[in-house]
Amino acid sequence: MKRVTLAILVATALLSIVVARTLSLDDDPIRSLTDPDPAVAALFERFQERSPFRGRIFVETGALPSRDREALEARLAGAGYVEEPLFRAPPPQEVLALAPLLPADDLRALLGDDAVRRRADEAASVAGLPGGDGYLAALEADPAMLGPALLARLSGPRGGGGGAAPRVFRSPSPMDYERAGEVYDALVALGPAVHFIGGDFFAVENYRAVKRDMVLCSTLSLVLSLAVFFLFNGRWALVGLLLLGTAVSYLTGLLAIRAFYAQVFAVVLAYTSTFVGFNNESLVHLSGIEERDARRSLLGVWSAIGTTVIGFLVLLLGRSVMVRQMALASLGGTAGFLLFLVPYRRVLRAVRFRPVDWPKLTVSPGAVAAACGACAVGVAVLGVPRLDTRIEDFRFQTPALDAQVAHFSRALDALALENVVAVPVAGAPGAALADLAARGLVDASRHPLSLWRPPAAQEESLRVLREEWPGATARLVARLAGAGIRIAPPPRPPDDLRPIGEWELLDRLGALSPIRWADRAGGHRYLFVGLRPGVAPPAGAALLAMSPRHHYDALLTGLSRELGWLFLAGFAAMALYLGLLQRSLARVLYVFAPLFPSALAFAAYARVTGAPLSIVHVMGFSLVIALALDYTAVAVSTDHRPLELSKVLLTGLTTLATFGVLVLARHPVMRELGVTVAIGCGISLAFALFVRLPAADEGGA
Amino acid sequence: MLALLLSAALAATPARLGPDALRARYAGIRALSADVVQVKEGRFWARPLESRIRLTYTPERITWETVAPVRSTVTIAGDRLVVADASGKTRELGALAGDPRVVALLGFIRALVAVDLEAIERDFTLRYGDGEVVATPRPGARLALFERIRLRFDAHDDLTGMELVTATERTRLSFRNVARTPPPPGAAPGASR
Repeated sequence: MKRVTLAILVATALLSIVVARTLSLDDDPIRSLTDPDPAVAALFERFQERSPFRGRIFVETGALPSRDREALEARLAGAGYVEEPLFRAPPPQEVLALAPLLPADDLRALLGDDAVRRRADEAASVAGLPGGDGYLAALEADPAMLGPALLARLSGPRGGGGGAAPRVFRSPSPMDYERAGEVYDALVALGPAVHFIGGDFFAVENYRAVKRDMVLCSTLSLVLSLAVFFLFNGRWALVGLLLLGTAVSYLTGLLAIRAFYAQVFAVVLAYTSTFVGFNNESLVHLSGIEERDARRSLLGVWSAIGTTVIGFLVLLLGRSVMVRQMALASLGGTAGFLLFLVPYRRVLRAVRFRPVDWPKLTVSPGAVAAACGACAVGVAVLGVPRLDTRIEDFRFQTPALDAQVAHFSRALDALALENVVAVPVAGAPGAALADLAARGLVDASRHPLSLWRPPAAQEESLRVLREEWPGATARLVARLAGAGIRIAPPPRPPDDLRPIGEWELLDRLGALSPIRWADRAGGHRYLFVGLRPGVAPPAGAALLAMSPRHHYDALLTGLSRELGWLFLAGFAAMALYLGLLQRSLARVLYVFAPLFPSALAFAAYARVTGAPLSIVHVMGFSLVIALALDYTAVAVSTDHRPLELSKVLLTGLTTLATFGVLVLARHPVMRELGVTVAIGCGISLAFALFVRLPAADEGGA
Repeated sequence: MLALLLSAALAATPARLGPDALRARYAGIRALSADVVQVKEGRFWARPLESRIRLTYTPERITWETVAPVRSTVTIAGDRLVVADASGKTRELGALAGDPRVVALLGFIRALVAVDLEAIERDFTLRYGDGEVVATPRPGARLALFERIRLRFDAHDDLTGMELVTATERTRLSFRNVARTPPPPGAAPGASR
């Protein structure tokens, strides 16, 4: 046996090397979500490709003293953040193509004597600075300074009424959590004088929360489980088996994920801290089986293991990668642990548990059915809880981050970019925008289409440009020559300038700015618009959410509903499986009975708090079925024998310890999962220990 | 005149400069003023332009006052650039302020004038030689418009001259009457960081 244990230890060490080398960590389970409609998914992906928020952080440093600002710049540079412009200066020919959008009067002013004189004076002054030739090169390419005028027009009424412009820094790739964390801490320490936002900061907070949760929950869960286990059994050999087997199952669980995914979500890694609870159930129920009751005991064991496996198998059918990874890890871990136990069959057979007995309430199957029915009526009266998952349910957020989100949300609201939607348009985009504005959904004056001018007005601007440009440019060149500066701008505007259409304007602006305003997908043409703050799209409107928060909220809610249906399908599959195995409707009803008061408890919770149930709760219900039904399955299969009840008590307490400690987790996914499973398992454990069917119905007579 | 000034500036016995000595000398200065003669030549200049400048620096503000041939003042305060013409009429160049390359350039001018080696090193590699420090841009630096920058110092490590080279321009500056206000006694070197 020692040789076997040594071989397993060596294999475990090798497996951990394989896992460490082949799996990498992903901190954000949200990014993996994609819309089931390929056209919508492509639209969203292309919109996000151009997103100024992807791979960048934004920092407002305007209110910082120069020393603090320079120190912060040095820290950002040290951590690999590279500053870049939010708006890239467009090439001169692109600027000129948009020139017909400037009203004729604006062009007359830009090309007038006063403007030319002022421009020449400024150029002479700035050219005197070190590096001033860059300014002269820009002036040579755009002598009328149409670029800044267009930029001012673009950001004018849509600019949100001032406020400090955020500075944009490209994030280093791959992300270094430690260095990004140092930057984050420095920004937080600067207080309200600085504002910042970016995916990196959420990633840092989540990384820290998950790291802390993994260490704390794994340690507490292991210590508590081993303590309970040792108290009940008193044998170090079994404690050692649980410990080593859990290490094996942890690795086989991760290998099961690796078979399908190269990256594992950090939150899934934290979830694997609960494996000791699953393993404990398998170990205990497979130990100390007495020969004379082996058939009934094994019926309980296979009922328990079967429902667990079915519970996880149905989760694999869902589209959420995070949920699939949790299911894969659980199935791989369960299989690994059961295989690990095979060489220790004799050790398990020799184990003896001390029987425990206490009075139980014997109820008829009819009474159980009535109680379940009453709970179902209770749920119907209270109302089936609403399923609604939001992106915040997956992220650990701190007050510091919440304050930054609120600050930048206000800024985005002001820019009408907080909630951008894609609208399919068959005709002219201007008419579609006017229709949306008439319905109160958008403020048309904040949309770039408000820059568009009718062809006749554009022709007038072009006429002014063609007439005034040569003279203005000649005057500028002459004035600069007087200051000893020589530039050679084009003497005339390009001949191919022409009025531009609405779609062309949107396409051109999309190419220049960090935001796409029009796109094509699935044979449709889409216009992107920012909804007014606080406006919800009317039901049935064909508006596709493009802003990450709204897009992912919709996807997550859809996934929650899908998982809810899968949960019910799994429930039906388990009922069928147990029906075939137990061959008794009363016993199957008994096994499922604790789920009804659990459902009532959650309905009451949702009614009292007004909070919806999220995908995490549905995942928790699946775990409740996988874990908690084991207690009733074993108890009813073994006629509530004191020896088996002792095992149920032991496994129930360790499960409560394992999931109970998750209440201490910082990450909301782990915490909600812990609360859900602890409530479900607590109810089920109490029911299995203190309520029983008549002996004839349990098959013991 | 120019040759005389430049030769006077470069006449002091050069010494091999060390980063620590220079950093210690210029760390945390509270103010600096100097008379500067600047010569610019290159593609945009019809002929080499010599101008006389009165330069004042504090950590919050730089004033670049061109005294001759045409009087004008450029003030750099944080990320803002304000130009005043001979009549004193001021105008802020707002269109430039949002461009990080301009912001970087303004910060760089601030670092250059204050001989803030730490700040310069963020974008440039420094090579210390006899009486001079030569800076060349790091790959991908924001200030890659400069091909080379040379700072010259006298035997007392006082700044005497600069040469800045871009693709289209060469700028030479010589410093006279440099007055520095050192950090208060007891202030740690690098306290300005």
